[in-house]
Formats: sequence, C-alpha cells, structure tokens
Amino acid sequence: MSELITETRLRQLAGEWLDGGKRVVGPVRIKDRVLYQPLQSPESLLIESNPGGVRPANSIKEFFFPKQETLYQYRIRGRNIELIEPAQEFTEQLVVGARPCDAAALPILDHVFNWDFVDDFYNRRRAVTTIVTVACSATDEACFCTSVGLAPDDTRGSDAILLALGSGRYEVRCITDKGRALFPGKTETSTESAKAAPPPEAKFDPGKVRAFVDAHFEDPIWAEHGRTCMACGVCAFSCPTCHCFDIVDAGPTAGNARVRTWDTCQFPIFTQHASGHNPRALQPARQRQRILHKFSIYPEKFGEILCTGCGNCVRNCPVGLGVLNMLTEIQHGQHL
Amino acid sequence: MNDVSQFEPKILAYVCNWCTYLGADLAGTTRLEYPPNIRIVRLPCTGRIDFNLLIKAFEVGADAVLVSGCHPGDCHYTSGNYHARRRWILFRELLDLLGFDLERIHFTWISAAEGKKFQQVVTDITEKTRKLGPYTELYAAAPVKDLPQPQPNPLQLQTFATENELRAEARKLLAEGAIKVVIGYGERGPVLVTRPEDADQLVWNNRCTANLAMYLKRKEVKALGRPAIVVKACDERSLVVLEKESQFERKDLHVIGMACEGMERPRCANCAVRTPRFADTTIGQFPQQTPTPRPNKLDALMEMSRGERMAFWVQEFDRCVKCYACRQVCSLCYCERCIVDKNQPISIDPAPGTKGNFAWHIARAFHLAGRCIGCGACTQACPVGIDLGLLNMQLARAAKKHFAYQAGVDPSAELLIGAFSQQDKEEFIG
Repeated sequence: MSELITETRLRQLAGEWLDGGKRVVGPVRIKDRVLYQPLQSPESLLIESNPGGVRPANSIKEFFFPKQETLYQYRIRGRNIELIEPAQEFTEQLVVGARPCDAAALPILDHVFNWDFVDDFYNRRRAVTTIVTVACSATDEACFCTSVGLAPDDTRGSDAILLALGSGRYEVRCITDKGRALFPGKTETSTESAKAAPPPEAKFDPGKVRAFVDAHFEDPIWAEHGRTCMACGVCAFSCPTCHCFDIVDAGPTAGNARVRTWDTCQFPIFTQHASGHNPRALQPARQRQRILHKFSIYPEKFGEILCTGCGNCVRNCPVGLGVLNMLTEIQHGQHL
Repeated sequence: MNDVSQFEPKILAYVCNWCTYLGADLAGTTRLEYPPNIRIVRLPCTGRIDFNLLIKAFEVGADAVLVSGCHPGDCHYTSGNYHARRRWILFRELLDLLGFDLERIHFTWISAAEGKKFQQVVTDITEKTRKLGPYTELYAAAPVKDLPQPQPNPLQLQTFATENELRAEARKLLAEGAIKVVIGYGERGPVLVTRPEDADQLVWNNRCTANLAMYLKRKEVKALGRPAIVVKACDERSLVVLEKESQFERKDLHVIGMACEGMERPRCANCAVRTPRFADTTIGQFPQQTPTPRPNKLDALMEMSRGERMAFWVQEFDRCVKCYACRQVCSLCYCERCIVDKNQPISIDPAPGTKGNFAWHIARAFHLAGRCIGCGACTQACPVGIDLGLLNMQLARAAKKHFAYQAGVDPSAELLIGAFSQQDKEEFIG
C-alpha cells in the first residue's frame, strides 16, 4: 500500500503555507530556464519532476546559506562602536520539488557549518525548513549521482519524497516526522507504486579519483584541462555543496553592516595576498583546488565527498568544463 | 519627512575644483543667497567623475544630483570636460533604460566668474526637485511585465562542411611552428590545441557560439606562445576593438576566419555579415545579407514606463549571484584588476543585494560603452538568465544615435570613449 497525493493537493499545501506567512521555495520558470525561487503564488510552482530539463540551474543551498547575509550591523559614534544584532527572521520554510541531489547536499554541509564554529544562521534555517523532494524521472549526460553514491530516488536529506505516477499524481514517502506532519488529510491510500528514473551509469570511481589527485598534485593534466576555464563562479555558485564565503564590512551606503557573501576558489583574488603574491597564480591551480577540496580534502576531514553529482557545474559552465568532465578526462586518460 | 509640504530636497553636487567650485565660492563672497539644500563634493575635474557616484548619491538619500564643471574650452586639463560630456551623453541613455529619473540628474557648466549662475542653477534645481518630491521610486519593486521571449532554436547538432578545412589549416599552422596554440571550438566547448596531431579536436558546427576572443586576455593562453584564433564575422569585431585598444599587435595574432551559416541561437538568423573581413585565412564564403528589422526586447522595455523599467531591473538583478561570468567571458573586459575587486576603499558594494547589483551592472555595462560589439556572451553565460545584453545594446544604440559610431566595424575609426569632439551634442546641459 502506498500514499498518493495529487498536484492540486500539493499546490493547496503550498498555498496554505504561503497564506500562513511562511516561505515556500520551489522550481519556477524564468525565461528559458528553471530556477529554485521563493514562490509568490502556488500556481508558479513547477512540481513535475523534470520541468524544462533535468533539474533547476541553481541549487537550494541559498535558502540555508544565502548569497548575502548580514551578520550584524554597527554604529560608530566618536570612539564608541556599538554592535547591533540583525533583525533576522527565521521564517518557517517549505522546499517543494527539490531534487535528491539538492537535498543530499545538506547533511554534507552540516559537517562544515558545525565544525570549529557552529553557524547559528545556517542551523536555524535548517531547523525551520521542511524539504519535500521529487525523485528524478529523467537523467541526462551531465548527471552523475551514481558515481558519488546517490541515486535518482535517494532520500538523504529529504523529509519526504514524491515519486511521479503520471497525470499529476505522486506517491508520497515520508522520511522524517517533519515530513509526516505535512500531509495528513491530503493523501489517499493506493495500491499503485511509482518508480524513479534508472540511475545514470557510474562515470568514475571516487576512491580512485582521490588516490589519483592525492598523488598527482603537479600532474600536467591540471594545466591541460584547467586552462580554458574563464575564472567565473558559475560552477561554485550553482553547486549544492560549494560553501566558501567572504566577509566584508559594507560601509554607510550599505547600512554599516558586516555582510557574508558567497565566494569561490575560482576567483583569482580568492587567494591573493596583501603583498600581491598569489599562491594559486593561474587558473589550472584553482581548478585543481576545487577537485581536491571535493574529492580529497573534505572526505579526509569529514568522511564524505563534497559533491552530489547534480551536474550543475557541467550544464552551466560557459566553456564546457565542470567536475564530471575533469574526472572523466582523468579516467579516460588512463590516469587511474 | 513624508509630508510633502515639509519636504526639503537634498541635492548632491559634484563640481570641478577650478570652475564651478570657485563659482560657488564667488556666490558666497558676493553674498548671493541660494537654498541650503545643496551639498557640494569637490573633484579635480568633471572628467574624473566615476559615474557610479551619481547612483551612490541617490542611494545615500539625495533627491537630485548636479554635476558641474568648466565651460567647453575652459577645462584646466584642456579636455576633461569634453570627455565627461561624451560620457554623460551615453550614461543618460543607460540610466533611462534602467528606469532612473533623468529629471533628477542635472549637468551644467558654471565658470569661476559665474556666481550668479550658480545661485540660479541651485535655486532652479531645488525648486524643481521640491515639486518632484522625495525620490521614492529608486529601486522600487512592482509587478513586472514579461518581455517577448525569442523561440529557442532546436538543439539539432549540425556539422558544417568546412570543418575539415579548418582542421587542416590548424594542423598546418601548428606543424610549421610559428603558431604555438590554436584557440578553437571543441566538442564540449572551447579548446586550446597545441599539437598538430590534436587538430582533429577542433569542430565547426552550429554550437560554436562562444566568442573565443575572450581567451586573448588570459595569462594561461599567453603563456603558450603565439596564438591563432578561430573567429566568426560577429566575434571578429572584438579583435578590431582589442587591437585599437593596444591589447595585442596584429602581427602577433593569426586569425582564422570562418564563414558562418548561423549558430543555434535566435539572433543568428538575422545576421548580416557572415564572412569575416580581416582574417589571415578565411575558410568558406557567404554573401552579405540585409537583416530584416524585427521587434526586439529593448524596444519592448523602452515602451514601458520609467517605474516599470526600474521594477524590471530590480527583479532581474535580484537573481544575480555575482559569479561574474558576464565579465569573465567578455572579450573586452580585460582589466588586470576589476573595479569590483578593489577593496581599499570598496567602491562597488560587493554583496549581491539590490544596490550592489545595480552598481555592478551599471559599472560593467558602462565600461563597455562604445566598445561592446554585441556578441551576447554575457547573456549566454549568465546562470540565472539576466538579460545583460540589453544594457549593452542600449549603449550601442546610443553610440549609433549620437555619434554614428559602431564598435569594431571600422578599424580606422577613432575609439568613441577616449576621444571627444567639440561638436558633441549638449542640449541637456544647462
């Protein structure tokens, strides 16, 4: 026996949350692409599991770790500096239509946001958020969740998962109490059961990748591969797991605030010293850093790969690079 | 404060040290009264004004901005005001597209002898601004109308017949030894081919949309030695601008021009020039065509009201994550250190909020004024689908309208920004 919910009921659920002054996030069509956005109305939600492509071009991390966040404000009066707590509201939020590769990123990120410093902002958003995932009903050539140990119907990080049955009906599988609290009165019992897309074929072996990158810091493959990278932040900013940030003191025109913003190792100034020296002088070294962090440094520190195989870096890269291409190149170049 | 009858406008004036500031001084010493609503910022020369300062003035609460300097011919640095004038002409058009209220931005020439004029100008602007009321429209969000979206072209891969000829040419160049790297298109994206035996990595198909001139600025590419570059007729215009701006010597670059049947993007269907004109080797041939005029997004946007335009950009920029892909893929954004990366002091708010995003996109677009060749790489690279090209298109249109200038078309033409003419139009300058 399974529980079944219709698209109408799901929209109704989103509508109830919105009416209650809460935030609902889900895939929305913006011109020629689909992006996770806070919903203005339940109608704009694209529930079907693969609207306009395999998955949205951004990730849900920005609803836990926003692209800009005021840490505190300050007021300077003569010699006195007064710190003001930001008027942050941690509104309850519901993420509907996340992909398994988005939801799985959160337990991975929990490690780093609770490591030597417990990040209150991130944790509070995690606590007030319920995540309803939609299992993928299609995958594309950029998908590689299988290669990092996930699957199109993986439930990691989700509170509930929906599996498409067709004609606007979904099988609901609740994973946590938060998930179970969502659906009472909205589902019906059914004998049907749904199936997700077949998992994409495994494209590389992360263990072998780690062994390779650990032993080949100076290998020419980095230069060969990384030199066409244009040093933008598309891969990192659309990545569900990249989490580097910068902290800037925005001056009086920006409200005298200490602000945290996203940052990425792909920017040349990320490692630029005050002296002008840059230890990662050229782009290949920065590309290498991104791979190393995901497949060697993070696993060493936290025991998990910092990648969910969503393929956003591949699809969004303006010059056709991305983690998958780098790793398959290593594999095909018989470096493994 | 919100009571309009009590409203005292705040006016920020950026004035030059040599003329207008002394004009203001003269007004004071001759005891000419003028409204106390003005706050003066003295700068060496109007030619020195960073235009983001105008925007910043509004952000910190100014209701109007005045920029004033020496009369044409009087500049103490001979031509600073002429340069400023040319930039204002273009900048106004950009602000208009973004939905700023041009009634609140004033330009005048006031000499050191014109204390009386200073008094008059400040009085007039104060009264006018008082009537306009506080500038509450700034960055105001509102429901936004959709712009017409072009039909996406189908993703059918089509290899062009000249692909083999391109590979042969690249192989030959690399084998001869004078060319160390061929910047071309590969199966997945741009490739840098350094060995003759790798020439078959090059492809020529309807997915070769990138403007490869972006690689000429990269240190990683420069380190490889003398390059050859594959260009389409549209992208070739980047090379014209870059050479004019002394970014490379023409003799140091080998250009492989590819006649182009059109790529899988809607804009290509309307392309007029399909065969490169200045290449060292041109592969294929297509006749010139006359493009058919068609409705475009820029017209649709300009037909909206000012408030709607601003709301449109507030909504668009709201999605910006400051990944800087727009800058990085631009062949003409080649500064070693971009203005947004300067942090002592911070001149553009680095946070991706409304203010910081407006400041960044204005700076990016305006630094390309009279330079952008309209390849569309910025729009294509944007991961969140912001129509960045519209900003550049508006400036290109302004360059054409006011100066009959098109970037990258005529290699003998003087650069638009960096030059000036005493005849530049100035009907908006008081």
